[in-house]
Amino acid sequence: MKPEVKKPIFSSYINNPALFDEVFNNDGAAKNVYQKLLDLYGNHSIQDYVQLNNKAKSSFFNQGITFQVYDNKETQEKIFPFDLFPRIIDEDEWEIIERGAIQRSRALNLFLWDIYHDKKIIKDGIVPLDLISSSANYLHQMIGVDPPGGIYNHISGTDIIKHSDGNYYVLEDNIRCPSGVSYVICNRTALKRALFGVFNHYKTHSVTNYAENLLDILESVKPKGVDVPNCVVITPGMYNSAFYEHSYLAKAMGVELVEGRDLFVENDFVYMKTIRGPIKVDVIYRRVDDQYIDPLEFRADSSLGVPGLFAAYIKGNVCLANAPGTGVADDKAIYTYMPKIIKYYLDETPILNNVHTYHCSRPNELKYVLEHIHELVVKPVDEAGGYGISIGNRLSKAEIKVVQEEIKQNPRKYIAQPIMSLSVHPTYIDDSESFEQRHVDLRTFTLLGNKKEFVLKGGLSRVALKKGNLIVNSSQGGGSKDTWVLKK
Amino acid sequence: MLARVANNLFWMGRYIERSEHVARYLNVNYFSSLDAPNELSQSRQFVLQSMMFLVGEPLDDDSIILKEEDILFNIGLNANLPYSIINNVKYARENANSARDLISTELYESINKFYHFVIRYSIEDFTKKGLYDFTVNITEMTAILRGKIRGTLLHDEVYAIIMLGINLERATQVIRIINAKYNDAVKAKGSYGDKISNSFEWTTLLKCVESYDMMRRYYKKTPTSISTLEFLILNPDCPRSVINSINQVYKHIKVLDESKTPDKNSTAFLISKVKGEYEFKFAEEIEEDIQGFIEKILNSLVQISLKMENEFFTY
Repeated sequence: MKPEVKKPIFSSYINNPALFDEVFNNDGAAKNVYQKLLDLYGNHSIQDYVQLNNKAKSSFFNQGITFQVYDNKETQEKIFPFDLFPRIIDEDEWEIIERGAIQRSRALNLFLWDIYHDKKIIKDGIVPLDLISSSANYLHQMIGVDPPGGIYNHISGTDIIKHSDGNYYVLEDNIRCPSGVSYVICNRTALKRALFGVFNHYKTHSVTNYAENLLDILESVKPKGVDVPNCVVITPGMYNSAFYEHSYLAKAMGVELVEGRDLFVENDFVYMKTIRGPIKVDVIYRRVDDQYIDPLEFRADSSLGVPGLFAAYIKGNVCLANAPGTGVADDKAIYTYMPKIIKYYLDETPILNNVHTYHCSRPNELKYVLEHIHELVVKPVDEAGGYGISIGNRLSKAEIKVVQEEIKQNPRKYIAQPIMSLSVHPTYIDDSESFEQRHVDLRTFTLLGNKKEFVLKGGLSRVALKKGNLIVNSSQGGGSKDTWVLKK
Repeated sequence: MLARVANNLFWMGRYIERSEHVARYLNVNYFSSLDAPNELSQSRQFVLQSMMFLVGEPLDDDSIILKEEDILFNIGLNANLPYSIINNVKYARENANSARDLISTELYESINKFYHFVIRYSIEDFTKKGLYDFTVNITEMTAILRGKIRGTLLHDEVYAIIMLGINLERATQVIRIINAKYNDAVKAKGSYGDKISNSFEWTTLLKCVESYDMMRRYYKKTPTSISTLEFLILNPDCPRSVINSINQVYKHIKVLDESKTPDKNSTAFLISKVKGEYEFKFAEEIEEDIQGFIEKILNSLVQISLKMENEFFTY
């Protein structure tokens, strides 16, 4: 019998020179920081790797780190695709990302305070009034409200890409209920279980300290007069796709995971219903959207919220993290003003680049967009999860026409950006049983509290698993990678 | 702890325990009947009827012919029947899901594996050749779960609530199994000249609750109705006995209610009262009116459960 030929792991890797590969140079040589890792992975054949990959998958499955898919009335559980080849970010690059992420979070917080109070930035003509007043996410109920500790965006998820010029660009800020941090931690756990040896050769920052920092941040924004605050996480419930993350965070912080029906409001204070009667709640990390938090104030048909919660919040008796109404600032139209917003409030130049953006609400820019759709990415300003995005060079002539019409119908709803070429990273592809280049982005997690701030050293590197695809959201078939930030 | 979550944990404990007893009942009855000493106990219909009796669907009409594959499927893997093992396991996991932040990662992972084992089990394999494999796996996995509950959870309120669920369910299931086997013993009376008191069914009963070996060590005699009832109901050292379960319930309610003299409307008071009643009973009293006894104690257990619900789970 002929012995099975064991192919080395990167033997069939094709390096397309038109793309920015984070691991290999154009001449095929590995970048310094990856050399050791490639040597270590090189010890494995592709068959070994397949086995490790399957083990990692079943580890996710048994831990119940899954999401539900509905198919022919049957519910199926699927794991989030995870790639065992990690992404490395060296200490110098990370320093820029970290400083940049904090800078943006601070600026956004000051911006939110301003637009819900004096609106100086509008009076000074930096940001146009109609951009705010026309935003569905601007909550008039928040005008004049002082959130405890002066913080609006306690938790920010910043989506960053590396462009083909080798620089980092921010694609968007997520400051409503950004999710994904639990996968950062799970990815690390899974990689450690499967390939523990590789960690001996790199000094990688830990990611498990996120929860303790989150709890510190939440406690730092306790309402006035509270000594030791009682913090909880509120979830829409176990059928929510991010429920695993909610339960993970509650468990890791050691606080209760509540649903709306577990809370009630009496005399503008919030209580949870426990086996020993009511217990007052001071800080709520809410993973329920603005519109659902309080049926008395927002959507009356919401059964996920707590009647009277918003009144308690306005009275300053409870802190909500993130504050209601933050969505106005992670609007993709506001995004384009970020360099100006940073300059205005902090008097600093932006550390992270913004992608140049055309506003379809401005007549001359609208004209440019309509004429250049084939080389632009058109995005609706208020959708999350990668929905409604059209990428110009993939559209047929007929499809371009449709997009043009949609934009003309409602110009305020759309922005356009040049097609950015996301960097690629070698990613194991099940179907071909080999490594191939795939586009990758990075979501960082920044915490902002009362005189405290924290950036998780690591982040969620999301991979677009479909060949050539630029959209990395998990709802659009994206996978993820463990992301190492190296220590100095 | 949240009242809603406490309720879920209580039921998680109950469903885990219930799935085990149903699985073991199928296993022991089926396999011990294969070489039972009399014709009736050997008959497939007799065994299938007994299985239906246990899950609370007794047959009114003995002339109905039950099909083995149907009955096994219904009790084991029919997701549309509330009493099936697959549903018990589903409910157990669903309850665990909603309390996922409170239970240990290790316990959750075991429940999750348990769930996936059951829902992936082939129906055809189970009804044709997998009865032994399936039921033994269920009992072993529930044993692992009990180990994880005991060994990976802080012994605080969360633990107490789960243990209350487990022990109330155990007492209930043991009584139900006694009831089912007593019913079988009555039916088997006379065939092969058996008296109820010496029926083969008592041995099966003891095996159904994994107490046969313990019983032999304790009495060193073939089980009779009196010794079996005494052992399974009144012996506090038998970990499957009703009084042992009630003692456990008493111990765990004390974690939730620390008052020395509980209020007369409290769960703790009711549990003490029930406990007192069975501490000073003897087996002959029970045997006099076994049906009456069974009804009474099942009712007491239901009352305890309802009281817990009122006191701790609703607000």
